[in-house]
Amino acid sequence: MFGLLQQLGPKLAGAGIALGTVYHPPSQHHYVSMFADVVIVLLILAFVLTAFRDIARLGRGLSRAWAIGRVTISEAWNARMWAVPLVWFGVCVLLGVLIVRGYEPSGVVRVYMTIFLRAQALILLIYLGILACVTLPRERERHTLVTTGSKPISRLELLLGKVMGLSAAGVFMLVIMMILTWGYMKAVDFKIRHDAQVLYALQKKSYDNVLRRMPPDTGVKYLAKHGVLQAQNYVSGALSIAGYINYQTNPPSRLLKGGSSEILYFEFPSLPATEYYRPMFDFHFAVVHALPSTKPVQIQVTLVQRSNPMNTQESTLTLNASGQAVWMPKNPTAFFSYVNPQTGQIYNPGPVVVKVTCPDFGVYLGIGNGLRPPSDTSCMAVSLDTNRTPHHSGMLAPKPNPVITGFKNNGKQEIVGPSIRHPQIQPEVASWDFTNVDQRQIPIGPHGNFTVHMVISVDKQSNEARAPIAQIVAYNTSTPRDRTVQSVYVNEKRITTIKLPATLLGAGDLIVNLRSEVPGHWFKVKDDSMIIMQPPSSFVWNLFKSEAIIFCEIVLIISIGVTASTALGWPVAMLTAMVAYILGNLFHFVQSLFQSGGLELFDYVQDNRMKHIWYYQIGSFITNVMVHILWVVVHLMPDFTRYDPLHFIVRSKDMPLEIVLLDIVWTVACILPTLAIGYLLLRKQELA
Amino acid sequence: MVADSQAIQTRQLSKVYPGFFKSQQVPALTELNLRVDQGQIFGLLGPNGSGKTTTIKLLLGLINPTAGDALVMGQPAGDQETRRRIGYLPEESYLYRFLNARQTLDFYARLFNMNRAQRRRAVDYYLDFVGLDPSVRGRRIGTYSKGQTRRVALAQALLNNPDLIIMDEPTSGLDPVGMLEIKNMIMRLKEAGKTVLLSSHQLADVEDVCDRLVILYRGRIELEGALRDLLEKKDVFQLSARNVSDALQAKLAEIAAQAGATEVHTGRARVRLEDLFKELVARKRSGEAR
Repeated sequence: MFGLLQQLGPKLAGAGIALGTVYHPPSQHHYVSMFADVVIVLLILAFVLTAFRDIARLGRGLSRAWAIGRVTISEAWNARMWAVPLVWFGVCVLLGVLIVRGYEPSGVVRVYMTIFLRAQALILLIYLGILACVTLPRERERHTLVTTGSKPISRLELLLGKVMGLSAAGVFMLVIMMILTWGYMKAVDFKIRHDAQVLYALQKKSYDNVLRRMPPDTGVKYLAKHGVLQAQNYVSGALSIAGYINYQTNPPSRLLKGGSSEILYFEFPSLPATEYYRPMFDFHFAVVHALPSTKPVQIQVTLVQRSNPMNTQESTLTLNASGQAVWMPKNPTAFFSYVNPQTGQIYNPGPVVVKVTCPDFGVYLGIGNGLRPPSDTSCMAVSLDTNRTPHHSGMLAPKPNPVITGFKNNGKQEIVGPSIRHPQIQPEVASWDFTNVDQRQIPIGPHGNFTVHMVISVDKQSNEARAPIAQIVAYNTSTPRDRTVQSVYVNEKRITTIKLPATLLGAGDLIVNLRSEVPGHWFKVKDDSMIIMQPPSSFVWNLFKSEAIIFCEIVLIISIGVTASTALGWPVAMLTAMVAYILGNLFHFVQSLFQSGGLELFDYVQDNRMKHIWYYQIGSFITNVMVHILWVVVHLMPDFTRYDPLHFIVRSKDMPLEIVLLDIVWTVACILPTLAIGYLLLRKQELA
Repeated sequence: MVADSQAIQTRQLSKVYPGFFKSQQVPALTELNLRVDQGQIFGLLGPNGSGKTTTIKLLLGLINPTAGDALVMGQPAGDQETRRRIGYLPEESYLYRFLNARQTLDFYARLFNMNRAQRRRAVDYYLDFVGLDPSVRGRRIGTYSKGQTRRVALAQALLNNPDLIIMDEPTSGLDPVGMLEIKNMIMRLKEAGKTVLLSSHQLADVEDVCDRLVILYRGRIELEGALRDLLEKKDVFQLSARNVSDALQAKLAEIAAQAGATEVHTGRARVRLEDLFKELVARKRSGEAR
């Protein structure tokens, strides 16, 4: 036995570490999550040690557990379980009929899939969650546990049996629901394809016989041929609004457009409260273009404390000839760090955001991408108070570097085309970087080309008459001189296909740059506006993967419900499972409390100087305790936000199998400690 | 150390049902020392609340003792492997109402890891054995009469061919014929070398079948021993004969009195109601059979 433990010991330790990383990724490893990991690992250890004999017998015990599971299924069946999918289907169809009106075909799929899958998850979570909470208490009330408990069955098998039975009931209902969903969507797809075929035939007839002006819509043809039930696979690139006049520079820089509503965000994460920071911002912009009439270029900067959004400071700065401006906020102690004069202790009020806008029309400022600011066009730094922190001196870039969170424009970014009035201003360029794309991933056509799909919106501004034309420049970073340049007609909001030579795929990254060729036309782009299509997957398979995600969520709630009901009556068990589910959904919110503020009921102060007063310190202590307790509790709860069955299928995109597998691993990793708690509670419990 | 011949042994076994306050605690069993040999039919008697069912639940490991310990078939009470050799018929028939008789027995047979063929054989055999009408076997137990449910409960207790059968009020809910059948069955089990622990209010049942018994009162043993020894009146003599005239009866009484016997009673022998019922039913059945 000892030898066996010696052999298994390192493996168990390795598995424990692996489990730890499953529960909380290393990047989030705070002492609270470490504490939660330790608690979970101790729970599993206690379970393994106490249930050693029961686990050893599980080989044959699983068939006994399954016997319990079968009875649980029979009970659920007897309680009209079969009616649940039918009720769900009726509700979904009704909702669909009420909601879906006049959408685009892809919108129809999105709405229907959202309704069908959300309702599935909701109904099954409620139904099976309730069953899980009542199944053991009901057996206790009916005394059937007395008879069952007199048979050679362990408490672990009893617990597993309940979870297995309800999970199997879940599988049964999910399969029915999946078949109904698929059938219904197939019918919807049939109608959409049929309509598209009719429409395309009409368009073609009209083109052939009558007008010969507007060719039939290729999008309609595509729809008629392929329908809407798709699970596309594609490679998307990382978008950077490359732009800058001379976009051959690496990295290319973005333009901040003067006189517009564009806002540049820099975010300083919470700095360590070990040193005293006195903020001094040093902005460096490249003045890419300024109209001749423009006075010295100005920028407006706003400093906002995340934990207290009312605590702001604004200033207007003038850039000097080299595009530089330095700013020291007036009340530096209110931002970044504050020293208590009595104790000398340094406090950190949390993250700080700096917003930059340029009010001058006709001015374009070049800036770095923020992550790796080049020396000539960047941002800011914070100086340390050298009196208090003798270890450092002079300017210090904050760690990590400030992050540009983007230009606000409804999730999309606009790239400016050639100017009608000022043709000397070069248009901006959107650049997509496809990392490590090689020919094995991409289908190559008979002429040695591959296809890039592009979907963008066009803002024609004052040049409505012209058709939108885009210039595409593509090259591989390993051979940057071999460039392919094309001009393409842009199908607005629809797919525009671009053929590129397969020689561009290779060892380096594929870069595809896009700019407008038509004066006055602006393009709205986002990350997946430019994609390289791969062979599609089956829609049913994609639906199955979404169902698998729902199943994982259901099994987890079943485990929580059954575990809660081992020691609690069914109403309290239901409440417990519900609280666990809610807290599990608040995981990221609670985790962000330390960064984004909140929960300041007891220690909210108008001014940081008040923080040394004793009753604020008590309030601060209470707040800290509460936040930490909440954090610990939330870390001990499974993170339900992981389960997102909709993300891919509503976008007609194939869900990567790794996501499903990771969710399965995660679910198992959460079920283990849950069942460990259940077993430890049930182990010595009296069954009669 | 428990001898191999002992099926059950308890040592100072006590159980107190907890309450929030000490005054609410209920002592159900106090320092019970019990010994049941293998192959015996052992009676557990006592009025309501005397601790019979508590003793049985402790022996099955369904509840935990407050003090003391119990060994069943040489292993601590509640041992999972030992439960393979035990059959238990609870006081009430605690069965799943939504299953039918076959499904119920099939479920319990699965808990003994029987394969499909074994299960089918055992289910059919024991449903016949307890005499459950074949026409009701496919119906849900929720629709059964109390007697039918009791028969299914009995079948589940025997399903694994146990060495030790614990029966809590086995004849509860059965008609006199059913009771008789149960008693016959218990005797058959004894002949097969099984140990039976029988808890019952029906004293006649116990008297007819038990070898040894204990009488519990408020959780303590008040009387224990072999049935024959306990029921025998050492100082009373009984004579039974047919065709005795009134004169001979008087003469016998006189002789006894002259010989120094006291409290001499003579009279006609009476048949027990149970025997009368048994005889009547047997006659009717044989008539129906013809």
